[in-house]
Amino acid sequence: MSAILEATQLTKIYGAERAVNQLNFVLEEGTSTALIGPNGAGKTTTISMLAGLLKPTEGSISLNGEPRADVREFIGFLPQYPQFFSWLTALEFMEMAAKLSGMDARSAKLEAQKTLEFVGLGEALKKKTGTFSGGMKQRLGLAQAIVHKPKLLLLDEPVSALDPVGRREIMNLLKSLQQEMTILYSTHILNDAEEMTDQLLFLRKGQLVEQGSIGDVRAKYDQPRYRVEFGRPEDAQTFAHQAPWAMQVEGTSGIIDMTNGLPMMNDVLRSLAESGLDVRKAERQTASLEEIFMKVAGQA
Amino acid sequence: MRDLVILFQKEWRENTRNFKILWIPLIFIFFGVSEPLTSYYLPQILESVGNIPEEAMVGFPEFTPSQILMATMGQYQFIGMLVLILGFTGTISRERKNGTGTLLYVRPISYLSYFLSKWKVVSIIALTGVWLGLLTSWYYTGQLFGPVPAGDFFAFAGTYSVWILFVVTIVLAMSAWLPTGGAAGLSLALILFVQIVDSLLGTYWTVSPWKIATYATQWLTGSPDTSDFWWSISVTIVAIVVLIVFGVWMSKRNASKTKV
Repeated sequence: MSAILEATQLTKIYGAERAVNQLNFVLEEGTSTALIGPNGAGKTTTISMLAGLLKPTEGSISLNGEPRADVREFIGFLPQYPQFFSWLTALEFMEMAAKLSGMDARSAKLEAQKTLEFVGLGEALKKKTGTFSGGMKQRLGLAQAIVHKPKLLLLDEPVSALDPVGRREIMNLLKSLQQEMTILYSTHILNDAEEMTDQLLFLRKGQLVEQGSIGDVRAKYDQPRYRVEFGRPEDAQTFAHQAPWAMQVEGTSGIIDMTNGLPMMNDVLRSLAESGLDVRKAERQTASLEEIFMKVAGQA
Repeated sequence: MRDLVILFQKEWRENTRNFKILWIPLIFIFFGVSEPLTSYYLPQILESVGNIPEEAMVGFPEFTPSQILMATMGQYQFIGMLVLILGFTGTISRERKNGTGTLLYVRPISYLSYFLSKWKVVSIIALTGVWLGLLTSWYYTGQLFGPVPAGDFFAFAGTYSVWILFVVTIVLAMSAWLPTGGAAGLSLALILFVQIVDSLLGTYWTVSPWKIATYATQWLTGSPDTSDFWWSISVTIVAIVVLIVFGVWMSKRNASKTKV
């Protein structure tokens, strides 16, 4: 794997405000990176700089090792709210987009059609984009970002504005693109990030506060524990008194902390079996990304 | 320059589908018809409305054919300019404001092609309107007031076309530089206000883009001073080129202001 894009000390200053402050990260070829952070963290500003729309105040972006390359040749970009010329049909817009990215007329038409079908707009080829719903615009936005088969796909909140069905469909499309392209996308929906991510970049107030593989980040912030569920609250209380480990009781369930690696699941199960109590469920839990997000975002 | 062809097609589609290609020339044609007709029928119109004493009608001025063409151009110089300014002032600024420009700017387009595609389409529409309007006016003037020699007419309309290109370039350069409101205001100032200033104080100089329209009308009654005329044309063409360079530069610089 080689680095397709490298950001060094990337900074954007608006007046007195540092919207993005000294980001350093690398996008490896063929990987997917999720840029996460609360609203106003600087996600859109960062992506706009990578897309060549904004000039960084300080720092640099190098592409394939070249520091001053025109990134526009290599990228596909989907803004958060893509806007289209309402008087063009979907196919006309896609053909124009493909041709502007250097495809000849024949393959532009072919790829435009194929891509629109791929994103599920096969029925709307000849419709004016002005009549499109929000979901359709998002699909068309994705289609125009991938029609020219860019090396790097930059997506700003690709699914945030969609309903659950649309979100699922777009996520599936993105997953099928992972094989062919390097992807960077921003989101504040953690479940999405959990689904297709090799690298996480956590932004908060313009700073990169955490980065690494999903496994690394999880290992760092995880609070592994067991959760045991009993039939009745009394059973939970009883077990809490019997057990050789501290257990927090909440109604019918108990939480056993295992931050230091102990106890083992086997010991817990054995002791539950010996207690003769009405046990419904015992599981090992890890922190969801949501919880990690709250922790990282809440750090002072 | 291949992107120029692609972007030109986009601009062309835009202006045909929003019917600017139709209604802007129609406005110019309207004045091309109405100016000779109302001048010709003014005595009858006044008579039928009544209340005009007989004696007043006797001294009613007789128009010469060239005066009618000048009056048509006079309408263009105010109402025509307003139509061009308000019709095209958002050509670039609006694409930034509503975010449609974003998906163009992230593609490897050259901003020279981006600006020129718009400049070409707007120039074609404006010149088509002006020429169709002046030809109409020339025809009715010939029918109602007497002939204007073809040579005079083409020198007049050709000279005026240079002014129209200057106006179009100002409007687009301002649109590349400023938001729509500011672009409209500054275009109005540069085209209408400076023209008034130039005609009030302009006796001190003879070479100016804002004198092109005056020189155009002089072809109808004789011919403008050759040196002043060619100097003004040259200065205007240089100004057009400078404004285009400025517009390209501003389009590029302001691309970062597009809504994402």
